Amino acid sequence: MAPLLAVVTLFYLYPAFEVLRYSFTNASLQRPDYAYTLHTYASVLSDPVLYKVIRTTAIFVLASIVLQLVLGLVVAVAANRARRRRLPGIVFVRSVVLSAWVMPGVVIGIVWAIVLNDASYGLANLLFAAAGLGNVPWLSTPSMALISIIIANVWRGTAFSMILQYAGLQSIPDELYEAAEVDGASTLQSFWYITIPQLRPILLINVILITIATLNTFDMILPLTGGGPGQATEVLALRTYNVIFREYSLAGGAVLAVIMLLISLALTVGYQRLLRSEGAL
Amino acid sequence: MRSRKSQRRIGDALTYLVFALALVFFGGPLLWVLSLSIRTPQDVYITSLRLIPETPTLENYTEVLYTAQFTIYLTNSLKLAVAGSVGAMVVSAPAAYAFSRLSFRGNNALLIGVLALQMISPLVVIIPLYRYFARLNLLDSHLSTAMVYIAILVPLATWMLKGFFDGIPPDLDDAAMVDGCTRFGAFRRVTLPLILPGLTSVFVLTAILAWGEFIVPYILLSEPSLLPISIGILNFQGNYAETSTQVVAAGGVLAMLPAIATFVVLQRFIVRALTSGAIKG
Repeated sequence: MAPLLAVVTLFYLYPAFEVLRYSFTNASLQRPDYAYTLHTYASVLSDPVLYKVIRTTAIFVLASIVLQLVLGLVVAVAANRARRRRLPGIVFVRSVVLSAWVMPGVVIGIVWAIVLNDASYGLANLLFAAAGLGNVPWLSTPSMALISIIIANVWRGTAFSMILQYAGLQSIPDELYEAAEVDGASTLQSFWYITIPQLRPILLINVILITIATLNTFDMILPLTGGGPGQATEVLALRTYNVIFREYSLAGGAVLAVIMLLISLALTVGYQRLLRSEGAL
Repeated sequence: MRSRKSQRRIGDALTYLVFALALVFFGGPLLWVLSLSIRTPQDVYITSLRLIPETPTLENYTEVLYTAQFTIYLTNSLKLAVAGSVGAMVVSAPAAYAFSRLSFRGNNALLIGVLALQMISPLVVIIPLYRYFARLNLLDSHLSTAMVYIAILVPLATWMLKGFFDGIPPDLDDAAMVDGCTRFGAFRRVTLPLILPGLTSVFVLTAILAWGEFIVPYILLSEPSLLPISIGILNFQGNYAETSTQVVAAGGVLAMLPAIATFVVLQRFIVRALTSGAIKG
């Protein structure tokens, strides 16, 4: 236990305390001395950029949650059906979907920067053209750029949501479905009245894990849009990085980091309640 | 009423429709990047969906490996990933064992604390660490970077390993202790061999995560000869993107290949670790 406590103290508690301390200063990366002040909070919280960033982050997170849950569930249901009917192909599909998840985030950004490119090698527009649709400016207009980072994030995260939901589906007893069938329930009815309620805890855990993963994402965004055009895809994590390492405002970045800390704390409380209500803790 | 048999056939068709769509969405971008990586510069700009170019070439790969330091980046990533996950196992395994076996005061609270750490963005932790490492002259060092990798992987590793320890009946180590083993002896001789598949799962998963780790090396390392692939490829894209997409694509393939290959070979372990970590707790 001692090594764990040492790691936790050195690399988590102390840094978290320091971040909190810096947020009450005017520290800058360019000079060593600083003074304590509340001014940083005042200026960060009154900066309209913060609210733009929060809005972008909220859209990014919410859209990712919905799409990853739905897509993950659709693939998981198909895989579960294939399992029960002993149809081949599950492992292959799972391998391909999970490949998107295991690769480095930066490479995901590079893959999508190529696929969504305006140049003639952009796969998305080639497919659109083949379907008789016009060119879409995926990365060069603010609203499309936001949609693009959502697509890339969903491409990355769906695998994880699918794995959890597939595990959840496997744990639903077959008897429930058999009983429903005897009672004359349609497939859709048993999906709605058995599958969804049985999966509820896993869906909720998924929501929390997707939120955390998406909030902490910025590796994928750098090669894809770099946060632009303008600041259209500058999410909270990327903003924090930019404030510290591009604007050199250690204190300003610390305030944003404190906001990120508070969000993760709230999500942890939610996660813990969920696990407890499931008897897992 | 439609016969059961035809209903089943429709269900099977739908299952494979979902599989096919999933393969296109998740596999398509990967195939496309692979296709670009074996094209000559002329073939990149042809407006066509054909995957295998008329004159496939491996020249892009030789260019990436010989002129762009990719071999160094890949070696650095391997070093950091192995050091990070071995270190994380060494720190986590005893702690996870204690969480699973000993009921001490604050056990649950500590466990939830570990869960909370997992939710914290590495970005938050790295901000103050950057300043300290700068002061202690520990920037641009693989040793200090690997320490932070360990710290970042420890919460997840502890949490997942605890799940695996919970799956081994405590009677076994009690019996060993009755036979004269110390608690540590019981851990080493009885539990550790049984937990080996669990350790493998967690090792593989943490190594893959460490391979893709971005924020920590991005902030702590700047010397080109020390960079891991995740940073190397971002710089590479910045320098090359406009002129030679085929070379960037080859770099992307090289950066994702180790993670995907490891995953495909060992996916049984990874899928187990994922589900065990998130649901069972």
